[in-house]
Amino acid sequence: MSPIAEYLVLGSILFALGLVGFMSRRNLIVMFLSTEVMLLGVVVNAVAFARLHHHLEGQAFGLFLLVIAAVEAGLALGMIVLLYRRGGTLDAEAWSLMRG
Amino acid sequence: MSPTTAYLIYFVFALGGAGVYFLLPQGDRPRAAVGGVLGLGALVVWLCILTFGGLADAGVSGYFYLFATIAVVAAVRVVTHTKPVYSALYFIMVVVAVAALLVLLGAEFLAVALIIIYAGAILVTYLFVIMLASQGGSPAYDRQAREPFMAVLAGFALMAAVAGRAGEVPISVSEPSGASLAVGVTQMDSSGSNTLAIGEIVMTKYVVALEIAGALLLIAMVGAIALSKKKVPMEGFRPPREPLGEIGKRVKPF
Repeated sequence: MSPIAEYLVLGSILFALGLVGFMSRRNLIVMFLSTEVMLLGVVVNAVAFARLHHHLEGQAFGLFLLVIAAVEAGLALGMIVLLYRRGGTLDAEAWSLMRG
Repeated sequence: MSPTTAYLIYFVFALGGAGVYFLLPQGDRPRAAVGGVLGLGALVVWLCILTFGGLADAGVSGYFYLFATIAVVAAVRVVTHTKPVYSALYFIMVVVAVAALLVLLGAEFLAVALIIIYAGAILVTYLFVIMLASQGGSPAYDRQAREPFMAVLAGFALMAAVAGRAGEVPISVSEPSGASLAVGVTQMDSSGSNTLAIGEIVMTKYVVALEIAGALLLIAMVGAIALSKKKVPMEGFRPPREPLGEIGKRVKPF
């Protein structure tokens, strides 16, 4: 197997583990921690492809992914605090009124 | 990659999926030990396939397997731990392991930025919110996962689908001479500094994206401030308990 392939497999494992956590956990904070794990998987993938193609573009892409992670964490945690103040719980099921 | 190897890989991911399924919090059925054994078994079989199946590449150092194992185990604990504080601490472990892997890939600047931004800034915010919004004990929503079987099925099917095709990744790619390689700064340069090269490419080729990222951060900051200043109607508001006096009697606050 190509050495890059092992990094790609690792990235996909991290992404899918984050996906499992996001879909199955009910605590809002743990759900967003799982999205951060998914983003880390994407960073590993981007940098591995940068290595494969001998470019720096994957690394620059990883830098912008960090920006997205920071923005997401700031906004999501603000909303989580707001929901907690409103409902007194971190349970995602408590806010499933729009699911129908 | 032979079909047998591919089926072995699928078997490993099925084993790992079963392990994560049992590790996920499922109310009053304490089966985490079964999940731990299954998950560790999957890891061992995977490493054996790589070592003895001739799949491991000589170009990958032992450090890769060390840090990759740490990252995967810690990521499993992030999604399966019943206490959010421990999830956050395990996430720091994932970040540090991934940063080590990025160093192995030659992305030193990104590795250090990852540690500073993730483990230093984002995780502190997460821990702050966990402390702010945590209830005593472990509430029911932390002890009972939602649809664990379907979630594990979806996630591990994705993993197996990617890993089954991993043998088709080329060892190296020869770029068409032209376009991006003509600009020297986009080329990965082993002699120069990684930070210097990243700075050059970000300030030249991706300068528009950089400005957009700055604007995005500004908008997110405005949004977070607007969210936190919003008055909420306090539907489930519980008045704080009156402070207790010296000998346990209730006293009127001022």
